[in-house]
Amino acid sequence: MNAPFLIAKGVTKRFGALTALSEVDLEIRSGEVLALLGDNGAGKSTFIKVLAGAHSPSDGELLIDGVPVTFSSPKDAASAGIATIFQELALSENLSISENVFLGRELKRSVLGVPFLRRKEMKERVAGLLKELEAHISDPEAPVGSLSGGQRQAVAICRALNLNAKLVIMDEPTAALAVAETRKVLSLTRRLAERGCAVVLISHNIADVFEVADRIIVFRRGRKVAEKIRSDTNPEEIVSYITGAHPDVRALEKAN
Amino acid sequence: MRQLKDGIFSLNGRELALLAACALAIIVFSVASPYFGTPGNAATILRNSVELLLIGLGMTLLLAMGGIDVSVGIVMGLAAIGVGRALGANTDPVLTALAGPIIGALLGFVTAAVVVLGRIPAIVGTLGLLGIYRTAIFILLGGQWLSGLPTGLTVLLGTSLLGVPIAAFVIVLAYIAVWVALRRTPFGLHLLAIGNSEEKARLSGIPVIKVRFATFIISGALAGLAATFYVASYRNVEMTIGSTLALDAIAAVVLGGTSILGGKCSLVGTVLGVLLLRILQNGLLLMGVPSLWQPVVTGGLLIGVLSVEVLSARLPMSQLGWARR
Repeated sequence: MNAPFLIAKGVTKRFGALTALSEVDLEIRSGEVLALLGDNGAGKSTFIKVLAGAHSPSDGELLIDGVPVTFSSPKDAASAGIATIFQELALSENLSISENVFLGRELKRSVLGVPFLRRKEMKERVAGLLKELEAHISDPEAPVGSLSGGQRQAVAICRALNLNAKLVIMDEPTAALAVAETRKVLSLTRRLAERGCAVVLISHNIADVFEVADRIIVFRRGRKVAEKIRSDTNPEEIVSYITGAHPDVRALEKAN
Repeated sequence: MRQLKDGIFSLNGRELALLAACALAIIVFSVASPYFGTPGNAATILRNSVELLLIGLGMTLLLAMGGIDVSVGIVMGLAAIGVGRALGANTDPVLTALAGPIIGALLGFVTAAVVVLGRIPAIVGTLGLLGIYRTAIFILLGGQWLSGLPTGLTVLLGTSLLGVPIAAFVIVLAYIAVWVALRRTPFGLHLLAIGNSEEKARLSGIPVIKVRFATFIISGALAGLAATFYVASYRNVEMTIGSTLALDAIAAVVLGGTSILGGKCSLVGTVLGVLLLRILQNGLLLMGVPSLWQPVVTGGLLIGVLSVEVLSARLPMSQLGWARR
């Protein structure tokens, strides 16, 4: 395994009297799919919002390539190479695939001070990315509104790759997808990691997680209660961590 | 489904239908009135379309962005007072001509400040401005028309360049400039993305506030340019100037296939919508329908087109036609 891309040390987030995240330590490595599991309200959403710069931690720190960083906005996180693919994908249905992939960062050439789009180059770049991801979308000029849910995930992933993201956070990417589509998105996730990206996958679906994740971290009541290499664990054990039935979790919760 | 090429003058189904409607109206009115089919009347229709076309181009951008401006006609009126005063004072004709778009752009900036920075829905914010500007026109004119203005501007815009009057060049140039901005620059993509969903546009890193400001300013400048043409042809500025232009512009643009909900527009459609509207208004007038009824026809057309679109939106997406954004 490579050196960690991102290290979280004692990350804590309080909202008034409520502690949503309590002293979370974890490492995210390049080329690895890390799954975050946990029940609703376990703290995984809060944690990824800290990573994405949407929340600043009340305590603790984040290190990228060993250097401490503070994000005051999602833009800061983006320029540090962290891309979040939201559940409700931030794609414009009325624009084409290639326009969406480049939206906000278009390639242009200036003619008499007018910034003309370099449509052909954008189209070729996107066609290349789609092919590399084996997304099976033939026409980068098709409007995103005509695509299926899984294909839209592929477009969102292309967008993240095109922004040179080093860490891609995927929030429930398969929640609204049919079985065949889910398979496709999971293999996209795998390919993203093979390209050297660090991938953080949030999911409720344990079968999905066991299919793609290298490492699994379980959150419960704002704490990290388990960290397992996939080959060292099984779905039953993970479920017991999530529900709190596992003896380790009981011991931990008794101690507090 | 594949989208068609969005060429500068290419037509989709909607636009072909509009073209057919124009042709049909021309045939019907030619049969009904001996005056309609004359070259002089054709020139009158084109002449009467100029201000509406320029304002319609700006309205197309605004609607595509999910915005609207119901004060554009009155903005043209205010700019016309500036142009008229400059003309009356025998200012250099080129400067006089430029006064229109400059005043319009400034008023567009004011509109943007109210709507964008004030976070007021565009339709309400511009309605408020409409009320204020109307009174401003009354006060500025002091209850009296500007009339009998000199011919300096008329001569300038009528001057022939390669056998074509400068006026025609300016109008074609304005169309091309808006088309290029919309279809060939990042600005156009950003505008359409905002029209689709402002929140998603923001998440995509689009400078939403900047784009919205720019669009209101462009629309204002086009309304101001319309003022220059208005003053050049009529050489007077009356109290009720521009009062039905916003309605006409919204009707023509929606008729042309631009979505009132944003995210999708057609500039060719706007040109055809403007022509159809002006042909109908002219033809009905020649058939003896009092001009009092014109806003009724325009308003009815607008409501009719929107009703049909609402009904057809219940059809599956694949039948809605993704042809043009």
